[in-house]
Amino acid sequence: MRRIRPAVVITVLALALTSACSPASSGAAGVPDAGQPVSGGSLTWAVETEPITFNPHQYAQAKARLLVWNTFEALLTHDGQGGYVPWLATGYDVSSDGKTYTFKLRTDVTFSDGEKFDAAAVKANIDQFLVEGYNPGVLAVQLRYLDKVEVVDPATVAFHLKQPDVLLLDFLSTPQGAQISPKSLKEAKNLKAGGPELAGTGPFVLDRYTAGQEVHFVRNPRYNWAPSTAKHQGPAYLDDITYRFLKESSVRVGALTSGQVQIVEGVPATDEALITANPQLTLSRGLNSGSAYSYYLNSANAPFDDLRVRQAFREAVDVDAVLDGVYRGTATRAWSVIGPTSPFYDKSLEKTYGGDAAEANRLLDEAGWTARDAEGFRVKDGRRLTVRLVQSAPFVRDRRDVLAQAVQAAVKQSAGIDLNVALVDQGTATQALADGAYEVFDNSRADTDAGAALGLLLHSGGAINRIGVKDPALDTAIEQGQASGDQAKRTEAYRQVQKFVITDQALVLPLYAPADQLAASVKVGGAGFEPTAGVPGSAYDIWLGK
Amino acid sequence: MIKAVARRVAAGVVVLWAAATAAYLALLAAPGDIVDAIIGDGADTPQIRAQIIAEWNLDRPAIVQYLDYLLRAARGDLGRSYLLQRPVGEVIGEQILPTVQLALAAAVIGVVLALVLAVTTRHRWVRRVSSTAELMLVSTPPFLSGIVLLSVFSFRLGWFPVAGDQGWAALALPAVTLGLPIAGVLSQVLRDGLDRALDEPFAVTARSRGLTERAVLIRHALRHALIPAVTLLGWLTGVLIGGAVIIEQVFGRPGLGQVTLQAVGNGDMPVVLAVVVLAAAAFVVINTLADLAYLLIDPRLRRS
Repeated sequence: MRRIRPAVVITVLALALTSACSPASSGAAGVPDAGQPVSGGSLTWAVETEPITFNPHQYAQAKARLLVWNTFEALLTHDGQGGYVPWLATGYDVSSDGKTYTFKLRTDVTFSDGEKFDAAAVKANIDQFLVEGYNPGVLAVQLRYLDKVEVVDPATVAFHLKQPDVLLLDFLSTPQGAQISPKSLKEAKNLKAGGPELAGTGPFVLDRYTAGQEVHFVRNPRYNWAPSTAKHQGPAYLDDITYRFLKESSVRVGALTSGQVQIVEGVPATDEALITANPQLTLSRGLNSGSAYSYYLNSANAPFDDLRVRQAFREAVDVDAVLDGVYRGTATRAWSVIGPTSPFYDKSLEKTYGGDAAEANRLLDEAGWTARDAEGFRVKDGRRLTVRLVQSAPFVRDRRDVLAQAVQAAVKQSAGIDLNVALVDQGTATQALADGAYEVFDNSRADTDAGAALGLLLHSGGAINRIGVKDPALDTAIEQGQASGDQAKRTEAYRQVQKFVITDQALVLPLYAPADQLAASVKVGGAGFEPTAGVPGSAYDIWLGK
Repeated sequence: MIKAVARRVAAGVVVLWAAATAAYLALLAAPGDIVDAIIGDGADTPQIRAQIIAEWNLDRPAIVQYLDYLLRAARGDLGRSYLLQRPVGEVIGEQILPTVQLALAAAVIGVVLALVLAVTTRHRWVRRVSSTAELMLVSTPPFLSGIVLLSVFSFRLGWFPVAGDQGWAALALPAVTLGLPIAGVLSQVLRDGLDRALDEPFAVTARSRGLTERAVLIRHALRHALIPAVTLLGWLTGVLIGGAVIIEQVFGRPGLGQVTLQAVGNGDMPVVLAVVVLAAAAFVVINTLADLAYLLIDPRLRRS
């Protein structure tokens, strides 16, 4: 064996040491990075989605979440494991019957308009939802078990429920549960639209909004109540921040590579190479919480009223190949209706089904779809094996229309199933849903607690139950998951739910786990994703290196 | 004179009413009702629907809602946006200026470029090259030409900023993108007009008076060539309004185009109606201006 010269060993060791000592955020050797956090500077951030409202109570777009937390804050927030961390509350107690949640509040918090944050403010925020027409959706779903909110003392507020509902905690950690100054609630001219006239407690103040172009925030110098999940305390680092609405991804990426913006949100798979090839830029990805993007198979309609046809449809799609073709290896495959980052995700479902064309054909033969028509589609009693998917254009993201075409080609080729895909306006889509004129319903939800999504999508009384599933055992499991505060009990309940819809009944074809991407100049430090939610976080911890 | 003006105004009002009514009927006939549009892809229960109906007074018969809408519109109240939850007048008011700026700048660029092209490219092969280029301008979708212009002049050379309404520098690329196809069509029409005018007897007379070819072209032929071009003003308005939707999206500019796109996609009836009425008003005004322009260009029409 040849002797290794000491000089080589020393060089290798030295290299290893220098790379080990440099901050984790740095890129390749010789490239400048953001360095230690410093205060000051203005940041420009290009985002894909312009919020339809800046009132957090009206929040309905997961892509708007990163803006909400700049100005507004909630009673609780999430840690990385799906648990709760105090924010504007210092802690909470649950009564033994699970029907009273009592929160202790911070006493050092003021809204940016000078109003004090206290128990009366919390009550005013919740009572606002009782105003007719303010947000009927939240009233009917998240607050449906709420009896009343009681001000115990200025620093203590109690939520009395009609029946146990652990999802109350999730609601109070979401944008819809965020706290608006009671003065704004009373005086704002366009309360539901929000904007500069709504004051919050957050680290920034929204001072200017130009519709169609940008929204601008300045630092709140008095801010000093960050939750323990934040990477620092005290006021935010940045003096001010501008979010530009650039809807075209190629324009966002071009604005970043030319230095016109320092950070962008939403980088499609086709543009990722432009970022990763540039040593001055960094790319990071976060998997969203909630439900996976899935096809829900409508068991109320033929032919999906037959379990074998549902199973066959799922076996007919090689999900890995389809995702690879559409997203070039950047998508994370989903195996359950629950996203893979949720504590309730049942990992044992992985690789238990799907992608077996021979099995798909066997099942369809068994179900009587034996004949074929001139175009190669399966036929039974003169009817073609057609299933319809209706997509509403305003809500299509992540090229889900292209994905649908890929699935369409896959099920036709491997099993002779005719997946009819229609991309239509919102009115037509809602009409199709109301008429039951669909066999496939596609959806993903970004709830921080996946249980909220399951209740809406799979409970017989769920507000988005589009697939006619009405099973007492399933309902019971979902209700148990929602009523119990015990994590082990909830996990078991949701394991049963997943087993029922994935393994036993094949009601769902999970496709991928929705993700967000951040691309930034290496000069930007502290940008990241919100724990648990997995969406880009607020600008609180971000600094600009000199 | 007053009579003529009154007739014009009355005709304009009828056009506005017809446009509003047609848009109202079209939205009524579209699948899905207003409640569906407001619910979007959110939670959907009878209780939620009842609240929405109560909030927006949607339980009245369609004809009552229509008459109510007309009455309020006549008083200048355009209603509230279902989607944005703000008065429509406010939404349109703050978005109209950037769109007008863009449209005017694009129109000026298009017209000037067309005039220059039509007048300077009279020689045989220059003309063929120019014609081919113009055809390319006309047939390139503004979406594509916008991205190409952005890549070269903003992302690579850094001469112009990409985003938003930030003064003249940010207006340049969007206005050029929107102005190019206009220049492409107008220059061809102008060139045809020039060809025809130069064959007319008056051109021969002018030449025989010893005028240079350039003087004949600019002083005499151009005036004749302008008449068919002015007829295209109505079309021009359409291109500017339709093009603004795409340009504003690509360049991240504020403006009516984005508002319209969002309103149509989400069934936001009050905003769609207001935009339709506004566009109709723009057509009426521009066609009136075109009629006046004929009189200015062609003295023969003044006598009749």
